[in-house]
This record gives sequence, structure tokens and C-alpha cells, in this order.
Amino acid sequence: MIETGKRRESAEQIAERNGIPRRDFLKICGAVAATFGLAQSTVVEQVARALSPGGAKPPVIWLEGQDCAGCTVSFAGSLNPPATQILLDRISLRYHETVMAAAGHQAEKAYHDTVKQGGYVLVVEGSVPGADDRFCMVGGRPFREILEEAAASAAAIIAVGACATYGGIPAATPSLGLGLDRALAGKTVINLPTCPVHVEHLVGTVLYFLTTAQVPALDDYGRPVAYYRTLIHDNCNRRGAYENGQFLTDWNDPAQKEWCLLEKGCKGPFTYSDCPIRKWNDGINYCIDCGAGCMGCSEPDFYDGMSPLFE
Amino acid sequence: MSQRITIDPVTRIEGHLKIEIEVENGKVKDAWSSGTMARGFEALLQGRDPRDAPFVTSRFCGVCYSVHQYCSCRALDEAFGATVPWGGTLLRNLAMGAMYIYDHILHFYQLSALDYIDIMAIAKYDGKDPALQAVKEKVVALVQAGDTSPFTPRYQPDDWCVRDPETVTTAVKHYIDALQINAKARNMGAIFGGRTPHYQSLVVGGCTQYPDINMVAKYRTMLDEIAAFVRDVYIPDVLHFGTGPLWPLAEMGLGGGHHRYLSYGSFEKDPAGTNLVFKPGVVRKLNLGGYEVESLDAGKITESVEHAWYRAAAPQHPYDGEQVFDLDRSGAYSFIKAPRYDGQAYEVGPLARTIVAQHPKLLELVQQGARPGVVARHAARALETQAMVDACYHWLDLLTREMTRSDFRIHDTAHWDPPESGQGAGFFEAPRGALGHWIRIENGEIANYQAVVPSTWNASPRDEKGVRGQYEEALIGAPIPDPENPINAVRIIRSFDPCLACAIHLIDPQTNQLRRFVVE
Repeated sequence: MIETGKRRESAEQIAERNGIPRRDFLKICGAVAATFGLAQSTVVEQVARALSPGGAKPPVIWLEGQDCAGCTVSFAGSLNPPATQILLDRISLRYHETVMAAAGHQAEKAYHDTVKQGGYVLVVEGSVPGADDRFCMVGGRPFREILEEAAASAAAIIAVGACATYGGIPAATPSLGLGLDRALAGKTVINLPTCPVHVEHLVGTVLYFLTTAQVPALDDYGRPVAYYRTLIHDNCNRRGAYENGQFLTDWNDPAQKEWCLLEKGCKGPFTYSDCPIRKWNDGINYCIDCGAGCMGCSEPDFYDGMSPLFE
Repeated sequence: MSQRITIDPVTRIEGHLKIEIEVENGKVKDAWSSGTMARGFEALLQGRDPRDAPFVTSRFCGVCYSVHQYCSCRALDEAFGATVPWGGTLLRNLAMGAMYIYDHILHFYQLSALDYIDIMAIAKYDGKDPALQAVKEKVVALVQAGDTSPFTPRYQPDDWCVRDPETVTTAVKHYIDALQINAKARNMGAIFGGRTPHYQSLVVGGCTQYPDINMVAKYRTMLDEIAAFVRDVYIPDVLHFGTGPLWPLAEMGLGGGHHRYLSYGSFEKDPAGTNLVFKPGVVRKLNLGGYEVESLDAGKITESVEHAWYRAAAPQHPYDGEQVFDLDRSGAYSFIKAPRYDGQAYEVGPLARTIVAQHPKLLELVQQGARPGVVARHAARALETQAMVDACYHWLDLLTREMTRSDFRIHDTAHWDPPESGQGAGFFEAPRGALGHWIRIENGEIANYQAVVPSTWNASPRDEKGVRGQYEEALIGAPIPDPENPINAVRIIRSFDPCLACAIHLIDPQTNQLRRFVVE
């Protein structure tokens, strides 16, 4: 039971009061526990607290560099818990160009006030131009300068998407986009690659941090082990076809529709992510299920190292 | 005395945008817009396998994700000599239709609504609706905790902001509901697109997602819920605001601009492509009493580089266009070229499409006194969202029938390998307007890739005759009674739903001048 002012109520009741049905609440607890290797009973109360308003909300700054806003849109797709609940009840989103009401100098002021206060979670979307600062200017300042300033007083730094983690597609352009692995070399950064970020990877990581105040266990590339420890090829539902030597050559042939996509350039054998188990868009589909194959977007050498994508 | 105001960054748009306006006697006298981020995707594509292009160009933008993927596929289809089977087109359209619906709803609620309501009016709501009471409690709790991010800070509500507590509370409830509906619409698109944002299944020659009847049923079930929101919430909200509290802005025609409109047309409703969701056409002169729609001649599209940092050249068709930078060129102030049709500046996007189509509901509003501008753009978006919902049902029915055929096909497999050489153009109507991709292939690799995007048309700089781009022109005359609170300027810019990520700009932080940069 959790003490909340005058009343004592169960974790489920707290969640219910905050608009999360018991069934969904237990689903979230199960997901958090399973992902990070904890017993469900130990996370229930913490998750209820993490999902419930009360007390000062942790401030968040979300910076966009050389980005396409795809990771922002991915985050907005959170259904369990709903994105608005995270936005309004759980975090205090002080700066996010695509979301915030303010513009111009008011937006800049909100940013500066939060940086001065410190202790915020810094989320970064998009790369940092390595060729020349002028490739990305915000409020008249180089994005690189803003990033370094914001990183200095952050409680935690989360890089979302291929661009912010390792440079992604911009790394292969003349602007030489850098991920935070190089732009903030030496800092602890939680890397959540894939292009764009998987909403459940992001929400799970944020909830984990808010719940435990700990950075989750990371692999050699700064990715949470919980999400990126398995090879896509090892969990692929088409692995049987691969073992049988059945490789798709014609997308029109219904007999081939579950066959291995290696001959269409699938990068599953070199890519680490839990996509085959988690899938995308609330479990509706993902790159291999749709017949296109994996493009390797969770790996540090994406995109240049994965091109040509279909060979 | 005139005063120069800089808004940087313009928020609640895609990309990094700076707007400068010169205000005199409370009105905008002149205006300039600059994108402040560039990546250089076209240069990246040179020498690549052409089949990478749809995947890479999708990343131009993650809000209107995959419009470039679709358009790029069309350019590749032509260059490869591929004929997309009707089944493949239906799958592409069903994926893209879902994106369209979400994108328009997102623009109205998440990107625009806060410019038109005084959100703090919620505190005065005293009605009995439990759902609205819950919204009130939520917002009041934020206020009491002293933390109303991300709704504040904000420009101060002006005379055109809605302050009626019930209207505002309802709008905020719909803002919250819309975020969920949008997520569901994106998930619906993933059924045939693979995943979102950024589809995976759209490739040259068709689509890779072999459909089954369960997918069709799932799509239809999800579409039913989304269609109900569009019909019962989104369209009534836009009409309520547009013909109610915002009617003075509609009558004023705030943000009108050049009043010339262009649409490439797209979204086939039959295999022959004779029946389209969006008609192609050009409105050269808008006479609200009745106007002519001319047929589009793509050969009349040129790009002027007179005020852009490129080597001096006469206006050229995109196929012949060159990209030789001249960053020291005097009189230039943008890396965006100035696309023109028959030498004139045009608006593209939902309002342009609705005017080209002579949509009866829009003409009715015009009869009542509405003038094309900010409010009309929101109305046009709502009207075409309904058209897209209807089209998705239509495509689902056709797909269900098509799937029963023994020769059902989704891909032109014979044309999967890149040709030794070839060229192709793809035309498409993206949510933000007319989009074109041009590709030239040599030695089986991309030799040249060009994209002229909607925001290039709308955000273009002045041309060789000194005529402003549509954003700039739309700002002229806008009332800015308080230079500290230029809310009308952001209303106008946001009404175009800017997508700046594709713009190429380089600005010196010290001098604000563009500097030399050579694409290697």
C-alpha cells in the first residue's frame, strides 16, 4: 500500500484514479519488469508512483538538431501509457520546438531558465553537423553549442533515433552529421537507435529512469541491454525458412510471403534489436513482417554501412 | 517608424524556421523567411543504388513521413520502366491515406489550436460534463503546481482568441483525444506500410506487403473509429471555430498572399487514373464570383535563382536545373530556389487543392463572405480529410475485390533491378502541397537527384522580378498591434503547415550572411 496524503490505496487504485485501467496497468508493470529483469511484485508500486502525478514533475528538455521530427512523432504514438498522460502528469516538458506553445524569445527563455535550474532529463533528436556549425542553427546559435550547454547540467541524457545516437543518414551527407557518441564524447548517454526511435524503447527507458533514478545496463554502444541484446536474425519468425533455404524472390507469390528476405538485402543477421519480438505500432507490423526486410537502423554504422539497402 | 521583429525559432512546425518582419503602423510592411538547418540528402544519393532513394528521402520529414518515399517510388517507377500493378497502387494509397488523415488532424489540434484559444479560460468552466470537468481538473492541477509547461510561456491571447470556457475546455479535450486518434491512424497505416513513422514496404514497382483478409478487416475497424472522430469532432470543430469566433479573421482574409493556386493532382481511384482524389489544375486569377481552372502543363514549371545562392542562370525547368552554389552573390538571401509556374508565384497545399477542385463547401463559405487565407486553409484541410477517409473506404473495397483475382499482383518484379541508365519524374500531392522528385540514373547508379517540395513553393524567396514567395506575401498587411506579441505572424506561417527540413540554408551566426559552401 502506498501513503498518498490522507488515504491509503493500492497501486492499482492509484493507477485507476489516474485513468489507467487495472489491466493496462498490470501490462505496463509486466513490460517494465520483464524488460529490465526485475520481479513484477517489486515494480508495481514504483510504476504506480511513476505514472501518478504529485510533487514536482521532473523537467525535460527535448532538443532537435539535424532531425526530421520522426522520433517526436514516434513518441506521440505512445498508447500505453498515453503520450498526453506522460506529457501532462509525469514530466514537465519545458522545451520542445515541435510541441511547445511558445515561440521565439519566449521559447529561448524557457530553455535558459531550465538549464539554469539543472537536473533535467535531456532528450536529443537529430545529429550535430560535423562539417560546419552553420548547418544547424537554432535561435541564432549553433546547435552544437546549445547541446553542449544543455548536456552540462542534465541529470540524464537520452539520444533518440539513428541520427542522435551515431549520426544515421546525416553522417553520410556533406554536413557530416555526428551522433552524441562523438558530439558528447566521454559523457554517459543512453542510446536508443532505430530510425525513428521505437516508442516503447523510449517510454520504457524514461519510466525506468523516473522509477529508479538509475541508468539501465548499457551495451558497448550505449544501448540498453534489455532492448538491444538479441540479433534480429535469431528471433526472426522467418528463421525457419532461412534454415530450409527458402528465400523470397517474388513479392507477388503468396507461397513465398513468409520466406526469408536475405536475397532482398535484409540486414537482420547483422542487427541487434528486439523488433521481431516487440514489433512496431502496438504490435501491428514491422519491417520484416511487411516483406521489405531489416535495414539495420539500430546499428552504429547505419546508414552508410548498410547501403545498398536491398542487396 | 518601422520596426524589425525576428521570431526564431518558429515552433510547432516541422523544421527550424526563422521569420523576420518589418512592422509599420501596426501592420507588416515586409517579410523574410529562412530555414536554418540543412543536411544535404541529394548529394548523399549520388552514386547510390537507386532503390535506396525512397527509404532515404522518406527521412526528409518524419511528420509527413513517407510522402517523399511515395513520390520517389514514382520517379523510380518511370526511370526503371516499371508498371505498378493496381494491387500495389491500392496498398500504397491505403498506407498514404492513413498518414494524410493523421497529419491534417495533428496540424489543427497539436500544431495550430493553441494560437486561437486562451487555454487559461478552462479555469472558469462551470458546466456539468464530466469529461470536461476532468480536463478542467487536470489543467487547474497544473496551474496550482505552478508548472503549466508546455502550454506556457506563450504569446498573450489577443482579440481573436477564443475565451469562452466551454469552447476552450472542449478544444483542449479534443487536443488530448486527437493525439490518441492520430496514434491509431498511424498504426492503421502500418498495416500495409510496415511501420511508422517512415514506412518500409513502399518500393520501386509497388509494395512488399502481401495483404490478407485479416489485414483488411483490421484496417476497416480502425478506420471506422478514426472516421467517426473526423465526422463528429474534427470537422465540426473547424467549422465551429471558422464560422464562429474566427469569422472576422476569415472575412479579413488574413494571410491571403498571391491568390494563385496550383495542384499536381494525385491518388488514383481507378486503375486508369482518370478519377483522382485531388484534381490537377491551375487557378491563375482568383475571382471569387467565379473563376477558371486551367489544366496543368508541367513543362511550364521553372525555378528562378535570382535571389538564391546559386550561379546566375535564367529560370530553368527542374530537369535542366543546376546546383552550382554562388554564396557571394549579391541580392541573394536564400538557398531555396523560387519555383514559378509560367513565371508566376503560386500557393500549393490544401487550400490550393480545394480551390482547384472548386469544392462546393468552400464556395459556399466564400459566398458567405470568407476570403482565402488562414481560416480557409484550416477549413480546406478538414474538407480534404473527409475526402481521404471516403477514399480509404473506396480503396479497401477495391482491394478486397482485387485480392480474389487469381492474377492478383502487388509488385512489378521484372523491373526490380536498376537499369543501366534512365530518368524519371514523380509527381504527388503531399499534405503540404505539390511535390516533385526527379532522378537520373547512369551506370546503374544515381547520377542526379532533385526534389522540389511544397515548402519550396510556399517558402520561396523573391524571384527575378522581385516578386515575394507565398509565406512572405501572406504576411504583408497582417495586423501586429503589439510588436512584443506577433501572434498573427505565427498564425499565418503555421496555417501553411511548414515543413522546413528539406530546405537548404547556411547562415553565418555572426553576420547573418550566407557563406561559401561547396558540396563535394
